[in-house]
Amino acid sequence: MDIQTQTNDGFTIYSLSEFAVAIEFAPDISTDTLERITRFNALLCHSPFDGFRTTVPAYTTLSIFFDPVVVIQSPRLHGINCFERVAGFLKGLNRGGSTPALSTASPIAIPVCYGGVSGPDLNEVARSIGMTPDEVIQLHSTAVYHVYMVGFTPGFAYLGGMPGELSSPRKSTPRGTVPAGSIGIAGKQTGIYSLESPGGWQIIGRTPLRLFDANNAQPTLLKAGDRVVFKVITECR
Amino acid sequence: MQIVIERPGLMSTIQDMGRWEHLSQGVPRSGVMDVLSARIANLAVGNEPDAAVIEFTYGDARLRTETDILIAYSGDGATLFVDSERLPSDRPIYLAAGSYITLVNNPAGCRTYLAIAGGWDVPEVLGSRSTYMPAAFGGFQGRALQAGDVLHAGSTLSGIARQLCHRLRTATSSYSSWGIARWRLLPSDRRLIRVIPAREFTWFEGKSVVDFLSSPYTVSPTCNRMGYHLNGAPIGRLFARELLSTAVMPGTIQVTGDGRLILLMADSQTTGGYPRIAQVAAVDMPLCGQLKPGDSVYFREISRMEAEKLYLQQERLLTRLAVAITTKLTAVFS
Repeated sequence: MDIQTQTNDGFTIYSLSEFAVAIEFAPDISTDTLERITRFNALLCHSPFDGFRTTVPAYTTLSIFFDPVVVIQSPRLHGINCFERVAGFLKGLNRGGSTPALSTASPIAIPVCYGGVSGPDLNEVARSIGMTPDEVIQLHSTAVYHVYMVGFTPGFAYLGGMPGELSSPRKSTPRGTVPAGSIGIAGKQTGIYSLESPGGWQIIGRTPLRLFDANNAQPTLLKAGDRVVFKVITECR
Repeated sequence: MQIVIERPGLMSTIQDMGRWEHLSQGVPRSGVMDVLSARIANLAVGNEPDAAVIEFTYGDARLRTETDILIAYSGDGATLFVDSERLPSDRPIYLAAGSYITLVNNPAGCRTYLAIAGGWDVPEVLGSRSTYMPAAFGGFQGRALQAGDVLHAGSTLSGIARQLCHRLRTATSSYSSWGIARWRLLPSDRRLIRVIPAREFTWFEGKSVVDFLSSPYTVSPTCNRMGYHLNGAPIGRLFARELLSTAVMPGTIQVTGDGRLILLMADSQTTGGYPRIAQVAAVDMPLCGQLKPGDSVYFREISRMEAEKLYLQQERLLTRLAVAITTKLTAVFS
């Protein structure tokens, strides 16, 4: 077997394909891991290697995509294959790079219309955790959330930081269609559906904001590392 | 250069080499399912490798040329005819205005690529001309082609394309005496897919790993541009451990909770939470792009290093091919 891994103070690099490697920063989800991934991602995007294409941050990993033809020909990278060359660069960056300051921008406010047709599962969630719907809204809209990852569909943001009391299991039968902008709960996570799609999360509200717009050069409202708060609105469409 | 779609076929979309820049925002790579065929079609008309092509699924499509056109096609889903004349694949073809092109099903595969000199001209969306149908953007108005759609080529022709037009110009149809030997770039056994063990390879039972690398897996009817479900020996897990969602990509083979395999393809989502047993070698992804429901394949393990070597070798061959075509045409005209 030939799955290459190399460890180096606190992270592991492994191969994903001829085009990609991943760095695993920690075994578990935490805001500390999120911050390390966000910092390293910013550092790498700021000073990329020859052949670098893009990155995909996730809960505990940062995956790095590159063009093997450029990587293997670069005089600035060292090693007999692309994995060695890219892994070598990443370890060097981790040792030597001065980490850019994280954005201290205030959290992004997402207006949400809770309950009713916008949040058909609000009452069920409230019942299952022994609260009133208003208490659920109150708790959900006062926490500050972190975007851990954007995936599933373009712009779908996985948020951490939901108060533990709100944890509720996924729906036993997924819905065929969940409208874009729906705010859902699944286990300890909350998330926002960016497009109309099938889905099994408990839907407690909906935002009128567009999470994804392909015609915008910056197509998603949220990216990994952002902080988010929900604001209750009553003018629902 | 311009054509009209008279009959679109089962599913025909505009694709290129895909969009890479927005993977972190959950935007899939998309692009052609069979990269090799698309590149060969582009090469044959003097296009850049990433020029937009039409990806046809099976045959049963019909097009009309509204102007004279220079095209090339490649892939295994269909054979092209003009009237009763069979057009050869993998080489430049000149057709006069008013020709009717018919795609006739080829049982060998699934997808066929039609390149036109200058590339199909649709707007770039997020850095690519590829159609991503689930979110309805890219390509031709974000959707599959329909009867009546008018498609035109980009107006900037390469030197090679201009020379080919000059040489092949005719009142009916003509094609070059040379072609690109696509089969030489493909492995001889097209049912054997080489794979690199993936990160969670050791999460599975020994017997299951042996099954995975020795027994056939069949493409289920649940298959589309996002991925294929594969039927075959179930894969048992050693631990019940959960994987935290992480990046996945075309070629990733995931194992679902009930032990079935999913091979992710061009429109694959960007992150996934099923454990990954293997990654298909990039050079064998074109074979996967031609699979149909009911087709069976075997997986064989190779090292990451070997997969990289094969990929770099193929890139060098394709570069040499481009040079050879240029040299051939320059030699004739100088």
